[in-house]
Amino acid sequence: MSENEQMAPEAPVTGQGRMDVAWGANTGDETVENMAQASTASSGQIFEQTYTPWRGTLNPRWMRNWAILRHHLLGIFRKGHRPWTMPTRIFILIAFLASLSDAGMTLLSGLVGSSEFHSLFGVSRDNLYGHVLGFFPRNVLYYPIVAALLVGSVISEDRQHGTSALYFSRPVSRFDYVGMKFLSVAIIQALVVLLSYILYFLAEVIAHGHGWAWMVDVFPMFLAGFIAGMILIFTYTSIGLSLSSVSTGRFFPGIGLLAIVFGTKTLASIVKNLFEREILYLISPYDCVAHVGQALIGTQTTYDQYSWTYSLVALVVMNALALYVLATRVASMEVTRE
Amino acid sequence: MSRRDGLPSLWSGMDRKAMAVAEFTVRQQRKRLSTWVVLLVGIAAMGVLTMFYIDAMTMDYEAIDNDMDSYDWDLDGYPNGQERLYGTDIFDKNSHPGLIDSSIVPDDPSLWINEDDFDWEALEAGSVGFDDNGDCDDESRTDSQKDQNGNGIPCDIMLVQNTYSKRYMVFADGNVDEDPDDEAYALEAIHRAFVLAIGKLGIVFLIGIFVPLFMATGLIRQEMTSGTMHFMLAKPIARGEVFLYRMFGFLAIAWTYLTVLIALLAIITGLAGPSDGFFRFSDLGVWMSVWLASLLAVMVYGMLFCMLGVMWKHGMVIAIPFAAWELGMILTTLGAPDASILRFSVVGWAMNIVDAGAALAWSDTPLLIQMGVWGGGNGPLEGAEALQFFASTPGLNLSALGTVVVSVLVMIFQAAACWLLGSALFKSKEIE
Amino acid sequence: MIPDVTQQGPPPSQETIPAPTVPVVYFHGVSKSYGRIHALSNITLGLSGGVTGILGMNGAGKSTLFKLLMGKLRPSSGEVKLFGTNPWKNPSPYAKVGFVPEHEKMHDWMTALDFVSTFARLHGMTRKEAETEALRVLDFVGLADVANKEIGRFSKGMRQRTKIAHALVNDPELIILDEPLQGCDPLARTTIMNVIRELGKMGRTVLVSSHILNEIERITEQIVILHHGKLVALGNLHAIRERLDQIPHTIRLVGEDARALAKDILQHPAVFGLSFPNDTELLIQTYHFGQLHAELPGLIVNNGHKVSLIDNPDDDLESLLNYLAGGSA
Repeated sequence: MSENEQMAPEAPVTGQGRMDVAWGANTGDETVENMAQASTASSGQIFEQTYTPWRGTLNPRWMRNWAILRHHLLGIFRKGHRPWTMPTRIFILIAFLASLSDAGMTLLSGLVGSSEFHSLFGVSRDNLYGHVLGFFPRNVLYYPIVAALLVGSVISEDRQHGTSALYFSRPVSRFDYVGMKFLSVAIIQALVVLLSYILYFLAEVIAHGHGWAWMVDVFPMFLAGFIAGMILIFTYTSIGLSLSSVSTGRFFPGIGLLAIVFGTKTLASIVKNLFEREILYLISPYDCVAHVGQALIGTQTTYDQYSWTYSLVALVVMNALALYVLATRVASMEVTRE
Repeated sequence: MSRRDGLPSLWSGMDRKAMAVAEFTVRQQRKRLSTWVVLLVGIAAMGVLTMFYIDAMTMDYEAIDNDMDSYDWDLDGYPNGQERLYGTDIFDKNSHPGLIDSSIVPDDPSLWINEDDFDWEALEAGSVGFDDNGDCDDESRTDSQKDQNGNGIPCDIMLVQNTYSKRYMVFADGNVDEDPDDEAYALEAIHRAFVLAIGKLGIVFLIGIFVPLFMATGLIRQEMTSGTMHFMLAKPIARGEVFLYRMFGFLAIAWTYLTVLIALLAIITGLAGPSDGFFRFSDLGVWMSVWLASLLAVMVYGMLFCMLGVMWKHGMVIAIPFAAWELGMILTTLGAPDASILRFSVVGWAMNIVDAGAALAWSDTPLLIQMGVWGGGNGPLEGAEALQFFASTPGLNLSALGTVVVSVLVMIFQAAACWLLGSALFKSKEIE
Repeated sequence: MIPDVTQQGPPPSQETIPAPTVPVVYFHGVSKSYGRIHALSNITLGLSGGVTGILGMNGAGKSTLFKLLMGKLRPSSGEVKLFGTNPWKNPSPYAKVGFVPEHEKMHDWMTALDFVSTFARLHGMTRKEAETEALRVLDFVGLADVANKEIGRFSKGMRQRTKIAHALVNDPELIILDEPLQGCDPLARTTIMNVIRELGKMGRTVLVSSHILNEIERITEQIVILHHGKLVALGNLHAIRERLDQIPHTIRLVGEDARALAKDILQHPAVFGLSFPNDTELLIQTYHFGQLHAELPGLIVNNGHKVSLIDNPDDDLESLLNYLAGGSA
């Protein structure tokens, strides 16, 4: 067919190369055939096409991925990027402002100078845990719904409108495509959960004038809470994205995520109240993350019947399952409107 | 087909049009994968709960000797209870009934476990209870010891109703009904708690909200967005009719599903629950009310979500806070069933139906709860708190039948209101 | 008056069948705007009987016109009447209408027979009646042999025909086809056009919209032209063309000696311009098309010229539309 050429950034990109990149496991930076010629029949030429390869410079992979990520992230704030729907954007703003409530209370307690108020809302082990993993209202009204709104259309819309072809006809591998979508959804959730967490910490520092010694002291707890938050975001994102890759609807993945999160929690709490058995919490993503978070941060554990390592294993299994479904679906996604 | 001059009536052949649209809807929903996923997940969830229930029904409950009279503290071979009966000293090894009469054989300790069970007939203020094992009504006890609650009746339990909380307070003379049968109580209490929990929370709430949410929201909206609504609307059929008949098709699937599910659960719990015969026929009343409540709930929610879908392209987004509201309401029914805010929810009325059915079928549930919570004076028995959590009195302060009738009418009214609103919105929608 | 006691049986039918004076389709001053976009502006027209082509570019307002007629949209001003009644919020006239929408999406999981008979039942037919009628119309459009195949497997042309069949199942008096030839292969095109012509001959009112001008020309001569939401022409195609005196018509002659021919023809007062694309071809520009056309054959024969072809290159919809669109097409 053609000679091998090292596929450096300067190497040409051809149709064959795009096909390989789209369907293969490589990333478009490797070796690729650069010329395609139609065969000529013996009874005469059918047609002969010579693709003149593009001799420009292909940007490195991270730049292509950054373009996708930027497209998704900036779409929240500006026009001209991925058009997240208005309800999504408004709700993210509301959730962010609502998550800042404890930061606001801490600032207020600093102004007012009341120590009871401060002990109620200020930074402490329990409050750091509560900011990220407290059930009501954050994990009922804000975080899961933000996740649901984001994952609702992120892949399914591409499948419905066939715009995934826009990605796969370019040197973007499927892993990168899904990876960047995952990252963008996770980062937007992190803005709501973790940015407000950081602001809460800062509010405490500012309001009560803590020094470096205090910050270094509290930092391990802070870091533990941060990691717990990341685990929460990762779990919600992987479950949500796997649902989004399975469905073509715009809302089904979001509602499905909420059904999983709240439905399993309801079932588990029914069993707990009826039979005093907590084992069913292992199928509830929120409770698994909460249990692991409690162990990480060191707060009072509310799940007494089994150790947090079980929850960790359950989490790993849940995430692995979700990511497996996601990977399979995206790998087999046809580059047409499904 | 004859050509008619003048326009034919819109009302001709309504039943044929209804059948056509409903049948079409059923076939369409059957083809969708999401329908099957939702229905199967529902069955799986109920199945998981039922597995826990069967496990609870078949496990052994430890027979606890609440008053410790099966122990032999002085190790003379005779249980404390037997010694007490004959008036010997339970702390003295050399004092036991064998010395009084050598033919008195030491009792097997198990005879003194769960020997003084509840003897309460009804939950009302007054005197209940009977000392089965005779450790209260003993000659060696004084009158004031026998009548510790001071109501003039020796060895009884006095129930007093608190005028504010309406709960009954238990004032027991010592050693009356203090060693109840833990296993019998636990089985009965947990069984009832399970039926109520799965009926109320599992079926009426979880399935009642999620099945319409996934299947009914897109009944009209999806057709509008994909453009296939044009086929249906270019026919001499009113838009309100289209809405209604689509709902009929949805209800055909949902009601069948619920009926089958409830029948299965009724059979399983009827066989596995504690009963005198092989099947608990008394539960059927509760299951009938669960069935009625869930059918109505699914109808109301279906109409509501379909209307939300018609109203706004992102109608499903509104359904989320609504579902959160309903969750809050159902938790309120568990705690405070006569709160008036429940009038503003769908699930509050559905819960009334279930609670009324439970009150009719199991008229002694409050009694059972009270007994279990008191537990012989040594703390609640197993299953008592579960039953207390899931059982509630119907909140309308009417008779049970009256509650059911009123709630059914209200829910039908809610469904009709959603239909009318949805039709009006649909009629004025411009469809591209 | 003495009553006739020998009279028997019920009285003779007193039904008066009113003469159809109401036009099937009636628009009066209808406008439809979405914010600042005017989809239709001040359309006034009435149509009854025969095949009418609704022409216009994409975005001219053809689909909007149909949707207003079918009660899917509401006019911002003016009144729309379908069989004499306002179709907005009133589905009663639809019993006499068959509507073939533009959208491609159909219920792919249904067979053609299923699809047509299910929607036939929405007219109030029983299951049996619906199936009979469905088979009849599917035969009419040429899909009788694939009636039990799923629509998802159909080609574009077959899907279009299925849609047309479903619109015909209630034997309607008015049939509206929104871009029926869009995306069809030539065979399907011919079939559909034959169907439409048949319907016109049967006396139904047929509205066909398209921007593919050649096909409309082949179906009908009665046209309505919309441009940017305004009604720019209405009536017979040729008559419209003739009315437009401001622009010259072109007549194309192909013959042996173009220049000799030209010398003779130039004498005619109706001719104001000539051009020679090549030796054998002559293009005549005239303002009085009808008059010149009538006298041209005489001119040619009397002067002994040999002409093999007389053609009117711009007496077609394309150039008409181009002109009417002001060249901004």
